[in-house]
Amino acid sequence: MNIISIEELRKSYHDSEVAVHALNGINLIIEKGEFTAIVGSSGSGKTTLLNMIGGLDSPDSGCIRIGDVDITSMKSHKLIDFRLRNIGFVFQSFNLIPVLTAFENVEFIMNLQGVKKEERRKRSTELLDAVGLGKRLHSRPSKLSGGQQQRVAVARALASHPRFILADEPTANLDSVSARNLLEIMDKLNQDEQITYIFSTHDQRVVNKAHRVIVLEDGMVVRDE
Amino acid sequence: MIWNIAWKNIWRNKMRSFLVVMAIAFGLLGGIFSSAVLKGSSDQRVREAVSRETSHIQIHNPEFIEDNDVRYYIDDNLSKLESVLDTMKSVAAWSPRVKFMAMAGSANAGTGVVVIGINPEMERHVTEIHSLICDSCGSWFMSSKSVPVVAGSALVKKLGLHLHSKIVLTFQDVQGNLTGGAFRICGIYQTSNSVFDEMNIFVDRKDIIPLLNADTGICHEIAIRLEYPDKVKNVQHLLKGLFPSVLIQNWKEIDPLIGMMNDLMDLWLYLFMGIIMLALGFVIVNTMLMAIMERTKEIGMLAAIGMNKQRIFFLIMLESVFMSLTGGIIGIIIGVVVIWYMNRTGINLGSLSEGFEKLGYSPMLYPSLDLVFFINLTLMVIVTGILASIYPAKRALKLRPAEAIRND
Repeated sequence: MNIISIEELRKSYHDSEVAVHALNGINLIIEKGEFTAIVGSSGSGKTTLLNMIGGLDSPDSGCIRIGDVDITSMKSHKLIDFRLRNIGFVFQSFNLIPVLTAFENVEFIMNLQGVKKEERRKRSTELLDAVGLGKRLHSRPSKLSGGQQQRVAVARALASHPRFILADEPTANLDSVSARNLLEIMDKLNQDEQITYIFSTHDQRVVNKAHRVIVLEDGMVVRDE
Repeated sequence: MIWNIAWKNIWRNKMRSFLVVMAIAFGLLGGIFSSAVLKGSSDQRVREAVSRETSHIQIHNPEFIEDNDVRYYIDDNLSKLESVLDTMKSVAAWSPRVKFMAMAGSANAGTGVVVIGINPEMERHVTEIHSLICDSCGSWFMSSKSVPVVAGSALVKKLGLHLHSKIVLTFQDVQGNLTGGAFRICGIYQTSNSVFDEMNIFVDRKDIIPLLNADTGICHEIAIRLEYPDKVKNVQHLLKGLFPSVLIQNWKEIDPLIGMMNDLMDLWLYLFMGIIMLALGFVIVNTMLMAIMERTKEIGMLAAIGMNKQRIFFLIMLESVFMSLTGGIIGIIIGVVVIWYMNRTGINLGSLSEGFEKLGYSPMLYPSLDLVFFINLTLMVIVTGILASIYPAKRALKLRPAEAIRND
């Protein structure tokens, strides 16, 4: 079942009168349950592609469909709501809300969705248990290690029942043990609950875990295996 | 949950927020204290003017107001008017007066005065002049001497007189003939208005009416003190309906300057507080801009995960309102305590007292503000918080999430 289909996606940036073609006609289909890694050298267009799939940036031309919805033609306010209900994000530098506890960080996204309090609490506890932080529910991010923070971010991304999770270099700021733990948890969730992941990464460990590796070069897919 | 985040966000940079909160608190405290002094002084002036000079309502022959001629007394319906005043529950007391211009003279000097012929017992229930005679300054018409008068201290001083001195009053009777008489000063009063003290001299009606060659019931002015001062317009309206031929004025119409000053004072206080709030608003804008710059990445993340613009705007607005309200509440609480204390002790203006008395103001100031002022001030603080959040919030909404989350 196709979750994401991308057709002829193009994006250029104009820097000092020189056009930089970040994406140069990308065509991709991502299916449910895939564990996909997008790799490529710096400037290859992987972050731009992730931003486009996540609805954080708009293409010059081409089309991105998530399910049956063309998000490239969506208005800004509708796109925000679409992101809230369909896409989970895990960022390189965790980006948790520092004044909230791990539990509240996970609960927050469901609060935005209008989920009832009891359901929010139940799911937040379950998710933090699932990422191995059942005993750190009430710790603030500053009291957690980088690996623990990133696990909270994964729990947060899952909290909204998204169709897929976009993870932008999620292991880049983690030590090797934390990175391995995180990947194991994500892999387990992928296998048990058919969670779809799309990673942008340089990390070989992520590549090794991935079921599918898409290599970008100069804004084009040069290998997809 | 947004409320919770907003409140906690304020205290992320504790020192900066503390300084802003204190700036708001002490800025407001300064404004509240100044306003309380001004308002207290203005209210005191009104209170004193009403209780000593104008009373709540006065009734005159309309022509008397035009040229203060002794011939323009209240002649229509006087007895009916008096019996109505006796029966009205909202009228606490009333006093009939004979009133005319005269020359007051001593062996050394002379000056123009307003002679107010009163019934001493009725008058003491309407005005408080009787209570402004100090222990060594005589009494309110309790003298064995014939034809006593109670004069203001400024007049006594100007004419070089003292208690029990003889004072000569020269005036026209109702026929226009020059007349006069010698009186004894049985009491010397002193209000906080030295101009009033210099101009007004009180005599007993029964002593002065024969000299005016008038009927015993002659009355130029009826001064009325009300049970409930806020009902002044209702009573005035009622009396006007019953007695259309006489002029019925409330204290604001009798002394428009005081009425206007009192009305203007309220406007001025809000304008003054508004200027303070404007200055504090800039402090809040600056602080919120700094907070948003520091949290670019976080705001980008919130937008990325699906927090819509209205909610981000609301979050920033709440932070701004919480900060201003925290400072505002602290400032108001300190202000209330300071005003309460100062209101009990009073502020003595000491060396400035003479100047204040010439302007009709008491040299003892009792700061005061009413509850409505504090409610309005709290609303102003909230509005300032909201307005001060608009520019920082708009800046935050311009952030592009894709760029913001990469900002270091």
